Amino acid sequence: MTDFRALLTLLSRESVEFIIVGGAAATAHGSARLTQDLDVVYRRSHENVARIVNALGPHNPYLRGAPPGLPFSFDERTIWAGLNFTLATSVGSLDLLGEIAGGGDYDKLLPYSISLRLYGVECLCLGLERLIYVKRAAGRPKDLEALAELEAILEERVGRD
Amino acid sequence: MSEQPHQFETDAVVEFYKRDVDRTLIRENLRLTVEERFDALMKLQKFAEELQRAGREAARDDD
Repeated sequence: MTDFRALLTLLSRESVEFIIVGGAAATAHGSARLTQDLDVVYRRSHENVARIVNALGPHNPYLRGAPPGLPFSFDERTIWAGLNFTLATSVGSLDLLGEIAGGGDYDKLLPYSISLRLYGVECLCLGLERLIYVKRAAGRPKDLEALAELEAILEERVGRD
Repeated sequence: MSEQPHQFETDAVVEFYKRDVDRTLIRENLRLTVEERFDALMKLQKFAEELQRAGREAARDDD
């Protein structure tokens, strides 16, 4: 099980700049679909990458699904050498994304993010309308059901306001 | 930071999928706080893991 409270607290405690996207963002907006991991888009600055390493380093980050024993070291060099990482940690699954299809990087998503107070910490989460826009732009058939639900949530919200 | 309003064009495929969306679950979730939604998700994850474990156990017993 992914401990969302633990992951969000770890990242926030180190002042990591990140935006919640994907299934967890959908949950924040009211989705009833099961998601197994926390997807975040992180800012690729030297300071932020160092914070990510400090936050996650003690929690055994490893490439999810990879065979054990690979020479994987979760450090700044590794993050700069890659972009998107699907990680297993001792507190759950975390997708650490430098950018997302249809949405771009942290700075492109920031104007469309909303602030949430969750488990005592302030987090940024991609807004519902942008989440829909990104999923539409990515155009992945596997997202169609999720997209339909997000649009239904938007309609329900408009109906309540 | 604020969410920018956006007008979406209707997509026939998404509209088709939308017919099967259970809006009662959405309405229940919209009544919860964001934190309560994540707590419910973690409970669901735990239940899914328990179902998977039980399924594996049943498959072993069948062998």
